[in-house]
Amino acid sequence: MTAPLHKDCEPVVITGVGLVSPLGSTFAGIADALLAGVSGVKAIDPGEFGREARQFAAPVIEIPVPPAAVGGLDEREFRGLGRLEQMCLSPVAHAIADARLSLGPGARIGLVLGLGAEALKTWELDFLAGGTRVFEPRRDRTLVHRLADRLGLRGPAVTVAAACASSGYAFAVARSWLDAGWVDACIAGGCDVISPVGIAAFYNLRALSRRGDDPAKASRPFDRDRDGFVMGEGGGFFVLERASDAAARGATPRAELAGIGMSSDGAHMVIPSTDPTHAARAISQALSDAGVAAADVDYVNAHAAGTPVGDVAEAGAIRLALGDATDGVPVSSTKSMSGHLVSGAAAFEAVACLAALERQAVPPTLNLDSPDPQCPLDHVPHVARARRVRVAASNSFGFGGSNLCLVLRRAA
Amino acid sequence: MPTRPTTTSSPPVACGIGAHAFVEARLTQIGPLRDRPGPEGSPPLPPRFLRHCDEQTVVGMHAVLAAIASLPAERRVCERHGVVAASCQAGRIVTASSLAKLRPQGAVSISPHIVPQCSLHSVAGAVSVALGMHGPNVGIGGGPDAVAEGLFTAISLVRPGGGADADGVWLVASDWAEEPALDETGAAIGDPVCRALALFVQPAAAEAASLELTIHFPTEPLASPGGGEASDVLGDFARAAAMCAGGGPLASWAVECPWPAEIRLTRRAAWAAPSRPLREAA
Repeated sequence: MTAPLHKDCEPVVITGVGLVSPLGSTFAGIADALLAGVSGVKAIDPGEFGREARQFAAPVIEIPVPPAAVGGLDEREFRGLGRLEQMCLSPVAHAIADARLSLGPGARIGLVLGLGAEALKTWELDFLAGGTRVFEPRRDRTLVHRLADRLGLRGPAVTVAAACASSGYAFAVARSWLDAGWVDACIAGGCDVISPVGIAAFYNLRALSRRGDDPAKASRPFDRDRDGFVMGEGGGFFVLERASDAAARGATPRAELAGIGMSSDGAHMVIPSTDPTHAARAISQALSDAGVAAADVDYVNAHAAGTPVGDVAEAGAIRLALGDATDGVPVSSTKSMSGHLVSGAAAFEAVACLAALERQAVPPTLNLDSPDPQCPLDHVPHVARARRVRVAASNSFGFGGSNLCLVLRRAA
Repeated sequence: MPTRPTTTSSPPVACGIGAHAFVEARLTQIGPLRDRPGPEGSPPLPPRFLRHCDEQTVVGMHAVLAAIASLPAERRVCERHGVVAASCQAGRIVTASSLAKLRPQGAVSISPHIVPQCSLHSVAGAVSVALGMHGPNVGIGGGPDAVAEGLFTAISLVRPGGGADADGVWLVASDWAEEPALDETGAAIGDPVCRALALFVQPAAAEAASLELTIHFPTEPLASPGGGEASDVLGDFARAAAMCAGGGPLASWAVECPWPAEIRLTRRAAWAAPSRPLREAA
């Protein structure tokens, strides 16, 4: 079976954006920061369980309270929620407000939450607060259903997990529901939170950078001296609608979610395959899905987290997918500024593509002092590059060999 | 097993089920399955592949292998398959034992395998990697509504235009029959039963499909959408699949979603019941 391509379907557009990130929580503020090359990485309190005396990450400093008209919580009630729930509810509610989406009783609005380790984080945060939830034989409803209930959403609601590609898969599932006509609009994206066990697990896996002497220099994707990623937190959500529905209610599309490609390496649970075939297939599939040629791509936001193996594997996949067009396509990794938002990474990096489409400039890769010759791409080191951007692609790869590519097109 | 009246619906969306198997294993039986999952004659996995996996991954893998074994040899190639794995609180035992050690032993005690092997994506990732599947792999649900979420998502990806460039996806739904109580070290009290249902969900036109899944959207809102853990959704659905495929009097079954929709399982009219049992105990 070859999947029908989205270029033959009605366009799906992004009409609302909600964010919470180490670089801020408004689209304009984040776009400014990304194009100015601002790093959100800083030293953090290593806490009781830090492995090293000087720990660093890209934390969210403040989670904005949802608009009063969406969710119906005052600040005290909102701050009483768990951090993970705050981190998801806030951008979902802000996305709804940004889209001016009506949540009336007849509306079929879906919710797809990309979140890879909800249970693990919930048990851990409860345990660290003195709870015993993980030891108890109970099953609580998951966050996506609590969010849907709180917001009065009456459409389908699911949690999807593909590790670091989770929120990209959320967009894929949401778009399939819109294409099928099962929902009138769908809120999709993902988020994650930094936690002691998460940091310890990635540190013990030797996936994290250990450049504690200068945190802002630690995240250096594609650089010869990279030594791992920097943990970040936050994420983002989009309101997605069929273009005709958005037009009918007078909504202004920010961009079209034009193409999606998904594949699996089928090779290793943790390490990306050295064979670029399958990651490249996700990229090629997304381009075909969008009906664009490799030469039409104006920007690639790379997954590139700054791990020695992963960045080389991705460079190979980009070169294989884009072929002769590769050298004319600027590539950058915004993880150099935001850190790695894990479940929220694909959504946040789609926002970086939105920024490129709206501002007509490509965000840079910070700390790319000496590009790795094994990653031969048209890099954008240190400073943003002005460029006409009509089509942007964003790669996301995850544990379990998941590969995903999104193609966003500038709104007509 | 309770029966429910069906609902009036808008045009349904259908997929076929080309193979299925349901597996139950007690915790004490899972150790041997880690070394050699699947029925006799199953393809060997990479050495020690399941060593760090959580229990639902091990039992889920066994269920997929059992379902594959029920297929004729020419249909056992998985390269163009995907995976949608709907687990329920997978990784809880490992997480509990990790947290129990965190204060006395510190962060050095946290296994590097806990995120890749004990998260919501882990069952899907493991099945995809072990069997060399190159279609999409994704975890779904994670809680008491996982079966409905998984069925809904599998159908949405497999239907024409759903975005999965694959011949079909393996839906692996897993849980503990009863959520185990754990002691203060994170060890399970008693010998709980872990179980998994594997369904190969294909486009509706697939000729070899014995059963069909359809999503129905009621024209009137359901009085009380499904969801929660009040009923044994996975166990009932697995038993219904076996009975429908086995040619017995039960020809259809419905799972209510936590939103206004239901997913109906029906036996295809032309399907002849197989001669081998479809339910397999580890």
